[in-house]
Amino acid sequence: MPIFRTLRNLARNLLLRGRVRREIDEELRGALAALEAEHRAAGLSDADARRAAAVAFGPIDAIKDRVGDARTGASLETLARDTRFALRLLRRSPVFAAFAIASLALGIGATAAIFFLFDAVVLRKLPVPDPDGLVVASIGRAGAAAGTNNYSLPYPQFEAIAARSRLLEGVFAVNPMGRVNVAADGGQPESADGLFVSGDYYRTLRLAPAAGRFLTPDDDRAGRPVAVLNHAYWQRRFGGRTDAIGAAVTLDQVPFTIVGVEPEGFFGTEVGRPYDVAIPLRASESLSEEQPMWNRSSATWISVMGRLAPGASLTAAEQETQAIFAQAGLVASRSAADQQFAREITWRLEPGARGNRSGLRQNYARWLLLLLMLLGAVLLLASLNVATLLAARTDARRREIATRLALGAGRGRVVRQLVTEALVLALAAGAIAFVIAVAGSRALVAIAVPSAERMPVQLVPDARLFAFTFAAAIAAYLVFGLVPALRATRGGSLLVTRQVGGSPGHRRLDRTLVASQVALSLVLLVAAGLFLRTLEKLWAQNPGYQRTNVLMFSIEPHLAGRRGDEVPQTYRRVLDAARGVPAVERVTLSAVRPVSENYYFVTSFRELGAITLPVEQRVRVAFNHVAPGYFATLGVPVIAGRDFDDRDSREAPKVAIVSERMARHFSGNPIGQRLGAGPGAREVVGVVGDVRYASVKDQPREVVYMPIFQMAPREIFYSPTVEIRSAGPAAAVLASVRDAVTRADPAITLFDVKTLETQTDESFARERLLALIAGYAGAFAVLLAGIGLYGLASYSVLRRTPEIGLRMALGATPSAVRNLIVRESAVTIGAGAAAGLCAAFLAVRLLRSQLFGIEPTDPVALGGAVAVLLAIAAAAACIPAVRAARIDPLDALRLDA
Amino acid sequence: MAKGDRAALLQGTLDLLILKALSAGELHGLGVSRRVEQITGGTFQVQPGSLFPALHRLEEAGWLTSAWRSSENNRRAKYYALTRTGRHQLGHETSEWNRIALAIARALET
Repeated sequence: MPIFRTLRNLARNLLLRGRVRREIDEELRGALAALEAEHRAAGLSDADARRAAAVAFGPIDAIKDRVGDARTGASLETLARDTRFALRLLRRSPVFAAFAIASLALGIGATAAIFFLFDAVVLRKLPVPDPDGLVVASIGRAGAAAGTNNYSLPYPQFEAIAARSRLLEGVFAVNPMGRVNVAADGGQPESADGLFVSGDYYRTLRLAPAAGRFLTPDDDRAGRPVAVLNHAYWQRRFGGRTDAIGAAVTLDQVPFTIVGVEPEGFFGTEVGRPYDVAIPLRASESLSEEQPMWNRSSATWISVMGRLAPGASLTAAEQETQAIFAQAGLVASRSAADQQFAREITWRLEPGARGNRSGLRQNYARWLLLLLMLLGAVLLLASLNVATLLAARTDARRREIATRLALGAGRGRVVRQLVTEALVLALAAGAIAFVIAVAGSRALVAIAVPSAERMPVQLVPDARLFAFTFAAAIAAYLVFGLVPALRATRGGSLLVTRQVGGSPGHRRLDRTLVASQVALSLVLLVAAGLFLRTLEKLWAQNPGYQRTNVLMFSIEPHLAGRRGDEVPQTYRRVLDAARGVPAVERVTLSAVRPVSENYYFVTSFRELGAITLPVEQRVRVAFNHVAPGYFATLGVPVIAGRDFDDRDSREAPKVAIVSERMARHFSGNPIGQRLGAGPGAREVVGVVGDVRYASVKDQPREVVYMPIFQMAPREIFYSPTVEIRSAGPAAAVLASVRDAVTRADPAITLFDVKTLETQTDESFARERLLALIAGYAGAFAVLLAGIGLYGLASYSVLRRTPEIGLRMALGATPSAVRNLIVRESAVTIGAGAAAGLCAAFLAVRLLRSQLFGIEPTDPVALGGAVAVLLAIAAAAACIPAVRAARIDPLDALRLDA
Repeated sequence: MAKGDRAALLQGTLDLLILKALSAGELHGLGVSRRVEQITGGTFQVQPGSLFPALHRLEEAGWLTSAWRSSENNRRAKYYALTRTGRHQLGHETSEWNRIALAIARALET
């Protein structure tokens, strides 16, 4: 049929719907009247003629429907009519509608929120043109497993590849600058995150500036003091003003000029590490103490990505660049270590559409997947619940449906109506779920990364979230929509009218649905119990120090433009200022902060006093640089020897303090023995108790402490933490400490201010969030299962009212009746709980890596979950049973009559 | 032929019979049904439940046109007539039918 005719028919049938329908009506009635007239003419009486004509013609309304169905656009019109009907029905039972929509919306919304995060962290490609052309470079020992690659690379080889590769049309390197103080218009400096980028960064990514221009290879070569702003930072700090372009700013008090702004939505090449300002890699010379390692061919410090030239394959490009890498490595070698590096280390390329390796992705991918599974189970549960509800509702409508079937409505037509009703529910739930997903994902990030000043990932609602939400809604709908619809119309129309109670098969299906809800909610409750127990175990773990009344903050003299010896001088000034504050008992300073994963320093020793170990048996240790008073401040016991003190200056002999575990590696008393050899050797002056070095989850390990004031300025490459023990609550002294520091040195700002307790709490953020979400899932699940059980039992009481009346009339006691109903529910609960326990035993294996201090079969968690489930289930089953026991036998029997 | 068999009319057959019935001139709905019965010698009785949907479908396909007229006993009735494409379609379906009928007849002879 030509398309214009279809459209014309469609327009006519839909726009002139009333007229078309009137004409069909007139045509059919006219034909019926003509038939009647013929019968009359043949000599029948009026009544007989009418009856005969009606029989010969058939049911006029059904024919009218069929004519309408034959016309173009009939399905659209039916859909509109069904939708209107469905809306009317739902309005008539608002409690059912609200419950069905709310439970689905919560189920879908929570799942979509996690998917949104999973997508942003794991799945999504970089927001640049043609991301599939990008590649990520790494290095590794020849033949080593792929997972062991190092994504930090040396500079000379990168430079050679950037200059000579033909199969990569662009190559760039980045290096995070960390915190940098940005001051504009001579105003107060504010700290921001900086990134050093090589000259081809923007060209290779094929970005176009939102304003001004980008950095070029020339800027990089010359190390020009120019900066490009991230779009979000431009908006936040400069209000999106175009006169920001060309403005002079200072970064850590070094002057720079802003030349351009990145496009909106671009966040860099590493998910979870957004930055505010990009400056040329070579310009780092003006910002750091030391010369960057431009010529060191075995020093790995830059992250490298590239873009394949048109037509080039990843393998070919890898071979080409590996050859350049090996050759450039040999040419640039200046030491034996460089040569060994050049011989042993190979260069690798991998697809880079999703950006460079991301710590956030490494840490959270598995975990997000786990959450996605948990919430997927809740969604399944919510769908089952709505399925049960809809089934019960459909049962209640059996008379209506049977009547419609008897009056000639096709089964397909009735199914379509029921399916439309389910679809309306699903779409309404989907729309609400979308809103929940957007708000929920932000809330989750805020809990998971509590100290972040801004979202570490971009969470802008997009088509993918939209697609996921509605796909989930449709999938849920397929579960709950079709089953009741098909079942309601099975069996002939006459059969159905007589059956009010529903066939035994239907009841079995209901029981199975409710039992599977019970099972699923038990699995979720077990998961919630395990995560709660993990959290409890984490808090109960002894970290080796005392957690209460300790305030911590970091300082960074470099941000104030201090260099060289000014840095330790600034430390001393801050420590002295804090010491003068009332209620402050002890003050110290350390490189590594307890329970913070910002820094983790490791080294190894072969020479321990008289013992010299072979290389393969060398002792690997974590180390920390601390000021005098560290152990007293944190409550770590000094077991032997002494703490550091003011004697341990740069000029004094080098000393170290070791942990108990480290002390055991020495022969005899370690005090006075030497640790290490050559100029770096130190004399052990003390032994202290074991601590969990950087995380409560760490096993106690060998730790070596060195005096921070014995370090040369170039050895201090971190922002240290000041720890303060106070007489009362730590938070109470913060204001006066801040005042004292500002008075002593106005250029110094305190950042990452936290009590040790808060820091500990935040280090459990992931576990807490897991417990929270599993708890939410479990509570929601058990509530849904309870409602399912309650509905089932109530329905059963309703159905069996005449029977119960009879039993009571024959002398059954109320308690016997109660038991009758409870027993029925108990079977469902028992079957569901048994299945749930089996499923839980299988499922908890997936959780093992997320647990701490307990087995996946932890009896407390399992017992608790079962107890909670049984309590809710018992309540849900008992209320209808009690009601059954109050049935008046006379009323009940009358109902049956 | 039993009455049940008459109801089991293939849809394509019904369309062909309607087109054929109208090839002699315009008719209203019941008229089409009478004419089909007449030209098939009473073998096919088209029920209104099949007839009217088919008429509307053929009209929308562009093979029939319709107009409201006064009928023989002064009632308003909807009259259907073949269009040019309808006539063309009749020719096409007739030859198609003959081909199939021949093939089936041959198949049954063997």
